[in-house]
Amino acid sequence: MTTDPIETLDADPLGLSPQVSRELRPCASYTLRVNGFERPVTDAWIGESLLYVLRERLGLAGAKDGCEQGECGACSVQVDGQLVAGCLVPAALAADSEINTVEGLSAAGGASDVQQALAASGAVQCGYCTPGMAMAVHDLLQRNHRPTEVEARQALCGNLCRCTGYKGVLAAVQTVADARALEAEEPEEAAAPVEAAPGPEAADRPVEAVAGAAGAAVEPESVVEPPVYTDADAWIEHVPQQHVPQHSVPQHSVEPQPQPGAAHPGMPQSVLPHPAEQAHVPAGAPYGDGSGGYDTGVYETAGPVPPHAGIPAQAGGDQVYYPPQGYPEQPYQGTPAHGTYLPYPDGHQQQNGYDTGYDAPVYEPTPAHGTPLPGAAFDGTAFDGTPPHGTPYAAQHPHGAPVEGGAPAGVPYGATPAHGIRLPEDDHAS
Amino acid sequence: MLPASLDEAVDALAAAPAAVPVAGATDLMEAVNAGRLRPAALVGLGRITELRGWRYEDGGTAVLGAGLTHARMDRPDFAALIPALADAARTAGPPQVRNVGTLGGNIVTAAPAGDTLPVLTALEATVTLARAGASREVPVSHLLTGLDPVRPGELLTWVRVPLLHAPQVFLKATGRSGPARATASVALVLDPARRSVRCAVGAVAPVPLRPLEAEAWVAGCIDWDGSREIDPAANAAFGEYVATACVPDNYGAEGAWEAVTEGPTAAAVRLRRTVAVLARRALGRALK
Repeated sequence: MTTDPIETLDADPLGLSPQVSRELRPCASYTLRVNGFERPVTDAWIGESLLYVLRERLGLAGAKDGCEQGECGACSVQVDGQLVAGCLVPAALAADSEINTVEGLSAAGGASDVQQALAASGAVQCGYCTPGMAMAVHDLLQRNHRPTEVEARQALCGNLCRCTGYKGVLAAVQTVADARALEAEEPEEAAAPVEAAPGPEAADRPVEAVAGAAGAAVEPESVVEPPVYTDADAWIEHVPQQHVPQHSVPQHSVEPQPQPGAAHPGMPQSVLPHPAEQAHVPAGAPYGDGSGGYDTGVYETAGPVPPHAGIPAQAGGDQVYYPPQGYPEQPYQGTPAHGTYLPYPDGHQQQNGYDTGYDAPVYEPTPAHGTPLPGAAFDGTAFDGTPPHGTPYAAQHPHGAPVEGGAPAGVPYGATPAHGIRLPEDDHAS
Repeated sequence: MLPASLDEAVDALAAAPAAVPVAGATDLMEAVNAGRLRPAALVGLGRITELRGWRYEDGGTAVLGAGLTHARMDRPDFAALIPALADAARTAGPPQVRNVGTLGGNIVTAAPAGDTLPVLTALEATVTLARAGASREVPVSHLLTGLDPVRPGELLTWVRVPLLHAPQVFLKATGRSGPARATASVALVLDPARRSVRCAVGAVAPVPLRPLEAEAWVAGCIDWDGSREIDPAANAAFGEYVATACVPDNYGAEGAWEAVTEGPTAAAVRLRRTVAVLARRALGRALK
């Protein structure tokens, strides 16, 4: 009888002998094909969901556990190319199926175009629903290259978001669809930049091509081990060098993106490029120009501002200090509150009458939530940002004429919708 | 255990009668995740490809595999065949659930709010239950009411649905605009050959209900040979008739003292209004 900790944990509260526990808790061993890699699972209870096995046994924590009822969609994964709720699939019955998780979207080393578009359009706040959203958008765009808004809404109706809302996600769907359509129209022009810089279109490319372009010296033949997704425990072990000031712009980080931390020493060689190489790439090179793999949190401004004297010199000559967010544009003119700085006309600041030697950073208009930062930070995504929070979207319908009565455009083959919409013939009684 | 054919699955169930046959697992895993069910063994039916399609049979009958997913039933080719079932499948849940949830699982689970159940009841479908070496046919209403339940070792394999070639409507009232459980649903099919209207109301009772008297009455109000029209007042009366037949006066009553009070409860009035509107609209759309 094995003495694995899970078995022991489960048997003890019941106060049963191992034999009885084994009967109450039938186990199975199987192999899952996750993102193209064979992952053996040994001695797992047959009632474990695919979500549980992915998260707890295989360490793929991208899919989130929201409701365990299939209501929230945070656990969405693809099984045999179909979007399913991972919490409602018995993992033992998903053996020999092709499973794609959100980690597979970014397997090429950077966030996929879907993930970048979600981040760029402000569709991420707490991020809990984002892996499911990314999988749902990915699945939608696999099946339907030009979804209408109604089709996008229907495809996303199983993914609940309780903080950001869905407009950003719908904008991301259109962004990716437009970008892919543009890429399909101009294949010869898109081919050249891909060789130099793995951009959003790199998601569909083979792993070895992108890994080679990103500078990781990993031979394609040697990639036989499952990839280490540096998102779970790797970055906890290794505190990365602080490249960005603490009060700088927060990273628009999508959950499945590889964290800028080194691989766990005990883990096999990662196919991802070394995080230090990613984080220090100067602007203009891959990953630095916004069209690159992912957002390192390093932003350019239009003109260089001298760094704050109290902050250590930044690594990399191109990194500049960025003014803090959230401060009012105009300096406060009234009596300062306790502990605040009183700005002086010469730009020097004093606290409680003492000169702090603090050179005030140049205040610039702070960008509204979700708008692109000034400069060239986001120019590569061909998306000019969402309007500020609360601003209504453009009046024109983005996907053609709006539906005027009758069956909505998303209802196929002219059938009557099952609920919610009154048809004219409903009125001929009372 | 993942049998690849129907015979293997039936043999596996015969060998281990305590095993749970699983197709889409959406209802099963919800119970397992909540701790309400600890399966002794699972027999996965996802590999049985013969159950995932449908075929035609003589006498105007479609034989649907129990492994038909809701997403498959939503597709236009199936919707041309049995439109009400396609409508029910489309609103059954989010895409993540409809991609794996199956017709057979919906019948076997027999949830009160199961969306395909009123449609199958209105269509008077029959199901085939197979066990090792034998099989039997059971009307779906007998299965749902427990008159003739699934026995240990039996597997629901086929659903036999008559092809009526007439308008069919499925309407559903939910608490929100997205996919949700029905608070009430109405399936209504016309049978011009027999000059009858068949209606079933779901989600207001543990099983779908058939208002047989209302059906017979409204079938006499329809001009079957002509333009198949109905007087709007008769249509509205049909809705009230169905609602009164399917929702009892003491619906939602907690204690016995409430049951003896005069008149229907507030919950009954509210639900009757919903059912009446659904039934009236369903008949209006079917006779459009």
